[in-house]
Amino acid sequence: MRVTKGAKIATGTALLALGVAACGGGGGSSSGGGDNPRAASGTVYIRGCEPQTGFVPGNINETCGGTINDFVYSKLVKYNSDTAAPELDQAESIETTDNKVWTIKLKSGLKWTDGTPVTAKNYVDAWNYTAYSPNAQLGSFWFGDIEGYDKVNTQDPDGPDGPKEAPKPETDKLKGLEVVDDLTFKVTLTAPISVFRTKLGYSTFSALPEAFFKDPKGFAQKPVTNGPFKFVQWDHNSQIIVEANPDYPGPEKPKVKKIVYKMYKDDNAAYADLVSNNLDFTELIPPSALAGDKWKTDLGDRAIDGQQGVIQTITFPVYSKEWGGNADFRKAVSLAIDRKTITEKIFNKGRSPINGWVSPIVEGFKDGACGDLCTYNPAKAKELLAKAKSEGYTPPAEFPIWSNADGTHKEWIEATVNSINQAFGPDAGFKFVHKDMPTFAELRDVVTQHKLKGVHRTGWQMDYPHIENFLNPLYKTGASSNDGLYSNKELDAKLHEADTATDPAQANALYQEAEAMLQQDMPAIPLWSYGLQAGTSKWVTGVKVTPFGVLDPLSIAIKEA
Amino acid sequence: MGRYAIRRLLQLVPVVLGTTFIINYMVWQLPGDPFAGRCGQRPCPDSYVTAMREQFGLDQPLLVQYWNFLKNLLTGNLGTDFNGVSVASQLGDAWPITIRLALMAVAFEAIIGIGAGVLSGLKRGGFIDNVVTLSTLFLLSLPIFVTAYLLQWVLGVQLHVIEPTVTDAATVPELIVPALVLASLNMAFTARLTRTSIVENLRSDYVRTAVAKGLSNRRVVGIHLLRNSLIPVLTFLGTEVGSLMSGAIITEGIFNIHGIGGLLWRAINGQDYTIVVPVATLLVLVYLISNLLVDLLYGVLDPRIRYE
Repeated sequence: MRVTKGAKIATGTALLALGVAACGGGGGSSSGGGDNPRAASGTVYIRGCEPQTGFVPGNINETCGGTINDFVYSKLVKYNSDTAAPELDQAESIETTDNKVWTIKLKSGLKWTDGTPVTAKNYVDAWNYTAYSPNAQLGSFWFGDIEGYDKVNTQDPDGPDGPKEAPKPETDKLKGLEVVDDLTFKVTLTAPISVFRTKLGYSTFSALPEAFFKDPKGFAQKPVTNGPFKFVQWDHNSQIIVEANPDYPGPEKPKVKKIVYKMYKDDNAAYADLVSNNLDFTELIPPSALAGDKWKTDLGDRAIDGQQGVIQTITFPVYSKEWGGNADFRKAVSLAIDRKTITEKIFNKGRSPINGWVSPIVEGFKDGACGDLCTYNPAKAKELLAKAKSEGYTPPAEFPIWSNADGTHKEWIEATVNSINQAFGPDAGFKFVHKDMPTFAELRDVVTQHKLKGVHRTGWQMDYPHIENFLNPLYKTGASSNDGLYSNKELDAKLHEADTATDPAQANALYQEAEAMLQQDMPAIPLWSYGLQAGTSKWVTGVKVTPFGVLDPLSIAIKEA
Repeated sequence: MGRYAIRRLLQLVPVVLGTTFIINYMVWQLPGDPFAGRCGQRPCPDSYVTAMREQFGLDQPLLVQYWNFLKNLLTGNLGTDFNGVSVASQLGDAWPITIRLALMAVAFEAIIGIGAGVLSGLKRGGFIDNVVTLSTLFLLSLPIFVTAYLLQWVLGVQLHVIEPTVTDAATVPELIVPALVLASLNMAFTARLTRTSIVENLRSDYVRTAVAKGLSNRRVVGIHLLRNSLIPVLTFLGTEVGSLMSGAIITEGIFNIHGIGGLLWRAINGQDYTIVVPVATLLVLVYLISNLLVDLLYGVLDPRIRYE
């Protein structure tokens, strides 16, 4: 595994200063006060929320469940908390010569928490189960690259709304999966994919033990797992408790005995608990505390300031003549957005402007893919707008940027709208406005039906830290999250070339070329990448935050009093 | 009185049927597919959407769904929510906490509010009256969340008198501050209502008669004046019980109390009607029954009111 050159998780790590004089080191004599209440039980409390689905890794796609699942399941590959680089975890080796046939060998002696060994069959069975469409798993599409996927996963011919039903799949076994021996299995893909190894760290690619198949429903509530922590108890809407797995073979062992994933409805409540040291970790500092950097004053050296692999963009419905505009129009809009001022004023520098379509912390990131089109330049914006109009595009008098009212998007979109309108000037003949749909579900509903009258805000949270994850699912023709129905044959070809390149360095270079091609059409306007603001209590130390913006459960340790 | 109560109870049936039907209908009419927004920026797999719709009967016509709902409600089988967790157990966890909080809040409202109202009403224009008028004005002008954050920050984070949030057990001592917060606004209402009522009734004939008969001051106020003056207050507190039972979303959120408000909030956001509908139904029942109790109490308080 290469260590990513560009990965700059500069501040993902916050080593908390232990230098309080009174807490003196080796003597073990805690003289008066400063006793750590966490020390006796070895338990730490972190902020959580109620998972939408249970502990079945192939059926999770939201962070509340994803976070706690990553504590209890190990995957073939894990991502380094500092560099985001993929490293072998349960896999002893992952080998390929052509990026198409992959031979995966597991480490020996790996165990599930019920004592049974982790075998190649566990992986193959789990993947087959997730991919098989009658099992209706949320993560099924992840196996779409494996040979025989169309035989196990059938599509409803008229979608879920239509009267017809999806035909029953021919088989429930993926042809491309083959168990070689107890610890080895072979994966055959339909086409070469250079980032397949990196993908294997995503939770959908976890294994499932025999126990799962006896009672999938019961298992989801009370799982048998193979990660650094094991499941103890789940009190719905209030807490999930996991404890250190004594059999965990990894080189870095858990440093705490128990983690309580305590659910909060309100970020402010969690923050109040954090400040008063009742809670040991939260990665959601509420806006009220971010304002004026109050959280840094409140928390002092307990504040963690980092980055995460999430970017914000504005997507154009390029399929629509009215709202999609033309390339020059979209470029003009991009030039009219003052990203620097907005990130400073609205987000208190909690987000940083980006100059491309890829998060700066992932493998393959290259600065400046957007050229000078993502830098505020009102003069040039006006020029390009005039050009766009002369090419025959007349923007509607009112041009909305849509968002969902149940998220916190109002402020920045209004700032963006103001920035654009000011840059274009009062005589532009049209105005950008901010409009809301009540909920995220409604917004997505309209977007996926391609009926949105205007552009909409899009956020992309990476599934795995690689440049490919920011391009293929979003801009390839017909890709799953290509909201604007953008299609560019040259780009598709370039992406295909990158997918099939056998040399990782070459693949990255090709992806970078593909990213730079987005500049010509600007189907989505890059805005900024998300920072990460987290905090810890005074009882814990060593806390690291992963590139996914959640706690690295192996890093947290209790301070010695 | 007994016949009246029975008649009122029977009237509940059509009201419950009507309201639950409307609730079911409205949930059904909400725009947006409850399963479309569950996969973030990606569309959910079709197989997942189909399976979920089938599991929750969303593919059935409205009347069939309503019939199934009634059947399940009567057999006590509330099923599971969209997350696959038993609805009954979630309600069983959340409701006792909410009831505890609501009763405590109403108790605070009644004791402090009525007490302050009586004191200020009896000595109109006096020192206590001015204090009460001013302090209620202050409370009325503070939104609940300001009071809540203020008390949480001062008492919890700065002074460490209380913990900033309530534990999962939500014991009575822990709930005192949240209940006070919840009661603060309506405490002021109750005090003002009581005061007005007392001031008005002080001038009434029966009070003058009672005084003329030579009854002790205590008896005049305690029996004759107070009982009659409490009717509007009781009406107010009765509806208050109902609305507090529906959970105090803001207060629960700030103090992280795992009550019905938070559950309902999450369910409404996720369009999880498996929770919204039973909770709304139960709330309808709570409202109806608390209203009935208030009506019956009128007769106890005011001998002039008779139910045939």
